[in-house]
Amino acid sequence: MNRRVVITGAGVISPIGIGVDEFWRQCLQAKSVVAPVPAEWDRYATLRSRLLAPLPDFDSESFGVSRTERLQLDPMTVMVLGAAREALERAGFSLVPGAAGSRSFTLSALDVERTGVYIGTGIGGMYSFLHNHAHQLFQRVRLALKSYADERAPAEGRAALDDALAMMAHGSRFHPFVASMYMPNAASAAVGVKFAITGPNVTYGMACAAGTVATGHAYRAVRDGQVDVALTGGGEYLYDEHGHNFRAFDVAGTLVRDCADPQTANRPFDQKRSGFLFSHGGAAVLVLEELEHARRRGATPIAEVIGYAETFDAHSMMSLAPGGAQIERMIRGALADAGVAPHEVDYVNAHGTGTQNNDAIEAEVIERVFSKRPLVNTTKSLLGHTIGASGAIEAVVTALSLREGTTHVCKNLETPVRDLNFVRTVGKHDLRVGLSQSFAFGGHNAAVVLRRYS
Amino acid sequence: MDNEVQQRVLKVFCEVLERKEDEIQLDASIRSDLQLDSLKQMTLFIALEDEFQRTIPLEVVVGLDTVKDIIDFVVKKVLQEPSAA
Repeated sequence: MNRRVVITGAGVISPIGIGVDEFWRQCLQAKSVVAPVPAEWDRYATLRSRLLAPLPDFDSESFGVSRTERLQLDPMTVMVLGAAREALERAGFSLVPGAAGSRSFTLSALDVERTGVYIGTGIGGMYSFLHNHAHQLFQRVRLALKSYADERAPAEGRAALDDALAMMAHGSRFHPFVASMYMPNAASAAVGVKFAITGPNVTYGMACAAGTVATGHAYRAVRDGQVDVALTGGGEYLYDEHGHNFRAFDVAGTLVRDCADPQTANRPFDQKRSGFLFSHGGAAVLVLEELEHARRRGATPIAEVIGYAETFDAHSMMSLAPGGAQIERMIRGALADAGVAPHEVDYVNAHGTGTQNNDAIEAEVIERVFSKRPLVNTTKSLLGHTIGASGAIEAVVTALSLREGTTHVCKNLETPVRDLNFVRTVGKHDLRVGLSQSFAFGGHNAAVVLRRYS
Repeated sequence: MDNEVQQRVLKVFCEVLERKEDEIQLDASIRSDLQLDSLKQMTLFIALEDEFQRTIPLEVVVGLDTVKDIIDFVVKKVLQEPSAA
């Protein structure tokens, strides 16, 4: 018999709030942050989209990440560590410092060999790669050019040289630990090191579905008895000094276009949608735990994970397959795994990016499988797209929605692409079963099914 | 000034070594006494760079042995360079 799996803790770092309480409060208030792209990016490329969702400044030491650790980690990893710490504390684990002054912890009441870490990310430590690559490319060229500019360049050419030198700005050093900062597995490894967890430690790189895939695989690992506790989730940090990551999505035509009111540019499932809002990133970590293990500790579950499935489109590296057949098969597989029928699903946290293709196909599939009954929203209408973190953040939203019997609106939705039961106002609902789904560049589809804990 | 620098260097040592300040003697060898391997030495100098907002060429580490050597190096060399901040 399969073991029951519950979520006993969660931690979130997002553009609209740091910490689960603040994040959830802002969700219910339909908070979003939309800002213009940094002016310096315009020096390097002509960008079509002009908007993004920035992360708030955060003090990594408040997450329990020391300066010495921060200096050796990509910001994505720092955020995942922060979310993991919050999730563990909320799950009721006592963090015991390893030794006087130690940066690592041991966890009371936890068999670390029976605990796993399952983290998703789209681009891993790409910020650290790009930051150091600028040093690699520019440092010596810049010195040579500056020497020429200072000693031999004609006066009339000086302004152009100064402009070029400014564009070659780079960090002060090529970091001696950069290889361990940008490797995709840095975040899951850092969680294992930080909390002395010695069970399976796995990284999932399925782009925009990475957080959901990680959560699903962690669920299976606990359900099937491979581990008793899993730290799972996702992290992403998409900022870089030159706007490279933004341009990568912009040049593909996937990002929102500016409009008269930038605050309404991000409008998933609306007929006037124009693309997704690029987010600087975020992180979410959930503690999944075998039910009896949680009961013995006296932990209070937030929700129960009851199903997971994944499929692959085998169609295009960047576009959903028309008709969404593999998405439908994925949803039906997740429901079968959960042992629930479509009419029993009360709430769907959609992938809902705001691109033309995604929203049209996803809405069509939702109606085909569920009819118009379940509430539908997309957390990306608030945060923008946090890529590898999004599925994990949305799993947290789904769990909280079931527990609280309410959920956030689908922001900026005026004329829906399809007549579904989109959340227009925050109200009380009897939400028993929810599904959170993600689709990724490459063709990966994944969904987790959650149930209100009782 | 030098005393303030010494305190700041010792604070960085404490962070990197995960030890208390009274466990770090000024005449201790960073390699043989404090057991700083090459990775820890790089960590130390990156943290010193952050503390003093200066870039320190990592190759200079080779010639420094004791905690006091490093304090003197920060006072006489590192702080003579313009701040990176």
